[in-house]
Amino acid sequence: METFAVRPGLRRLGGRGRGGGLLRAALAVIALLVLAAALAPLIAPADPDAVDLSAALAGPGGDHLLGADASGRDLLSRVIYGARTGLLGPLGVVAISTVLGVLVGLTAAWHGGWVDTALSRSMELVFAFPGLLLAILVVAMYGPGQIGPMITLAVAYTPFVGRLVRGVARGEMGRPYIAAYRALGFGGLAICLRHLLPNIAPVILAQSTINFGYALLDLAGLAFLGLGVQPPAADWGAMINEGQSAVLQGALGPILVPGLAIVLSVIAFNIVGESLADRVSRR
Amino acid sequence: MSLRLRTALAVLTLAVTVAACGGGGGGTAAPPPGGGLSSGTPEPKGDIDAFTWVSYAEPPTLDYVHAFDYPQNMVLSNVCESLMRWTPDLKEEPGLAEKAVQRDPRTLVYTIRKGVRFHSGAEMTADDVVASLNRHLDEKVGSYWVSSFRNVQSITKTGPMEVTVRFRRPDALFALEMGASPGTVVSAASLKARGRAFGTADGGLDCTGPFKLGTWTKGQSIQLDRFDGYWGDRARSGKVTFTFVPDTAARTNALVTGEADGGYMIPAASVARLRSSGAGTVYAGPNLTTANLIVSDLNAGTLADVRVRQALSLAIDRQGLVKAALGEHSAPTLVPGPVQAWRNAADARPAAPAVRRDVEAARRLVAEAGAQGRKIVIATSNAAPEFPVISNAVQAAAKEIGLAAEVRTVAPDAYTALFSDPEARKGIDLFPTFWYLSATDPLELYGLFQTGQFENYGGFSDPAYDKLVDAAEGEFDRVERARLTAKLQESVATRLPWIPLADLDNVMFLGKRITGAPTSISYLYYPWAADIGAAG
Repeated sequence: METFAVRPGLRRLGGRGRGGGLLRAALAVIALLVLAAALAPLIAPADPDAVDLSAALAGPGGDHLLGADASGRDLLSRVIYGARTGLLGPLGVVAISTVLGVLVGLTAAWHGGWVDTALSRSMELVFAFPGLLLAILVVAMYGPGQIGPMITLAVAYTPFVGRLVRGVARGEMGRPYIAAYRALGFGGLAICLRHLLPNIAPVILAQSTINFGYALLDLAGLAFLGLGVQPPAADWGAMINEGQSAVLQGALGPILVPGLAIVLSVIAFNIVGESLADRVSRR
Repeated sequence: MSLRLRTALAVLTLAVTVAACGGGGGGTAAPPPGGGLSSGTPEPKGDIDAFTWVSYAEPPTLDYVHAFDYPQNMVLSNVCESLMRWTPDLKEEPGLAEKAVQRDPRTLVYTIRKGVRFHSGAEMTADDVVASLNRHLDEKVGSYWVSSFRNVQSITKTGPMEVTVRFRRPDALFALEMGASPGTVVSAASLKARGRAFGTADGGLDCTGPFKLGTWTKGQSIQLDRFDGYWGDRARSGKVTFTFVPDTAARTNALVTGEADGGYMIPAASVARLRSSGAGTVYAGPNLTTANLIVSDLNAGTLADVRVRQALSLAIDRQGLVKAALGEHSAPTLVPGPVQAWRNAADARPAAPAVRRDVEAARRLVAEAGAQGRKIVIATSNAAPEFPVISNAVQAAAKEIGLAAEVRTVAPDAYTALFSDPEARKGIDLFPTFWYLSATDPLELYGLFQTGQFENYGGFSDPAYDKLVDAAEGEFDRVERARLTAKLQESVATRLPWIPLADLDNVMFLGKRITGAPTSISYLYYPWAADIGAAG
């Protein structure tokens, strides 16, 4: 039985060679983020919502390793807790868009004909609307928060996954193993789920990893605009929003600390995603 | 590198740039606390062609019956005038009325100024005054100032240049409020001709002020042009352009770079940056504005028990709020009315209660009320950069005394709705406000806690209090009225339908090019832009 299993484990991704160090650093950043999100109550030095007006806009050091915001809240604790919404939001976007994209892409590729045409045109239609614009529209209708923008961005990201899956799946369907399974009497659903999907999974994983970074940036942008996660929740985008007036008072920490967290996270996910994509394409 | 990655890096670069370019530094020392409060700025040395003024928001309308907020009145005060005029030192003087005579407690007679022309060229008459004032009584118009007219029985023309206002019951505040939006006079003919479009970008205005409405580019700017037929002192500037910049940092940078020549309502966070920029001068003037927390419902919920309200008030770190958010031009207070409201009746001004914080006593009050663990919801908004810090501080105080507290951030329009829509206040226990008075009289604030008043948001009700308000409103001697109002203040400060936080100075900025503007809150109803001319 011919298979096309490409399962580049994380160990292999971090191997030697050009860019290996960068990749390892990116993986380390992601690992740190996950740890921060999971263990926030244990590792944060303070309650992220604890207000201490006497420490408003305090600089780094002393009781506040990275300084304090305008309400005297500890920036390090808030950025650690912020990893939770920072990761959960994009995870939701990627999970939903991947499921929908795979469903649409595989259906279009497998059935072909008018089904393919109809689904492809539908994806192009969604593609035509910028994701952020759709999210802003939904916020205007249903109010700000995390769930609305997350679902909207997931819908907006679906064509990215769907078109990729359709293209790769159509390529796979020309291979002999698919015809062999058909000849053996396997049903379409079984072939797709048990054989076709595992073979194209690395491509989907690579795309989803890249999408994760994009989604993180989009959600942070919406929170910065006051449309996503709302203050006083410790969210990176919302923290930058809240920190704007502090800049006028010469305090840079309230925007730089969450800003750096966003930038590092996006870069890390991009590096890992693009590295995955490179490796998959080489095969 | 992908586009998104570049975008992410751009975010960082922008953050660093903003930080570098926007840093305050605070190189110049602040004036000593309580010092430097004056009503004016240096006299101009000459006229000026034009200047630009920046505001945090565009007026939704310039119709005087709906001019109930800073952005509208800041513009409108230069275009339309009232029967009386609020002066820069917050006194009243004749405006479009030459004379006002209180014939008896229920009859007020205005003699209308002769020779005043509207921007359309028509001469103002008593008919215009009657039409303008009666709009507030027309339910179909939906005037936001209807409560100022609650005691009015009729407004009629009693002579070619005479208008008589008759009252159902004596109302001493009415005469003072005729110096604000309620007393605005516009052309009756234009009102009729333009209908509902009056005061909009399409319909325009027809008033008597030193400037006439020029080009109103929605979403961008409003331009005023000097009115050469003005009855009073000619404006020193040929044009004034108002621009609207909601973002505090962008607004501050507009002032620093000279893109805008000046602005009122400078946020505390911007003061050090502006002062150290060398681009102009920050002034602090007399104000009638206080920061308060409005209790949404005094009859249900955790805060219905006065002991819980008193406990929360005792636990709030007002000194910390002043330091962290409200800035050097503010002072903590335990009374909701501004201290400057007493300036015209200083003899009757009660001593301000000493601000204290006692968390232990607050905890005992909460325990006594059996309210431990009960929840309060504090609404906040980004409408002002100080609000989030205030809300966080109140949440911290509530938690410290054993209450559960949630801060709920609402969109700016939802925040605005809290002041007009009881439905919008459902589920909200407290919301912050910067509340200003439109007359130099503390009764204007304390009167609104009378049973059934529109702004009595929490439903405060006490027959004895209502009776005292009636007595104060019927007292035409300013000092005696203030003495009665002092009793109202004492009652409100104890029972806390609002929880007071701080008394705020009026902070403004003038760029180096211009001078002459008043520094007081009179700018809401006084034609301040006409006084601005060249600084050198």
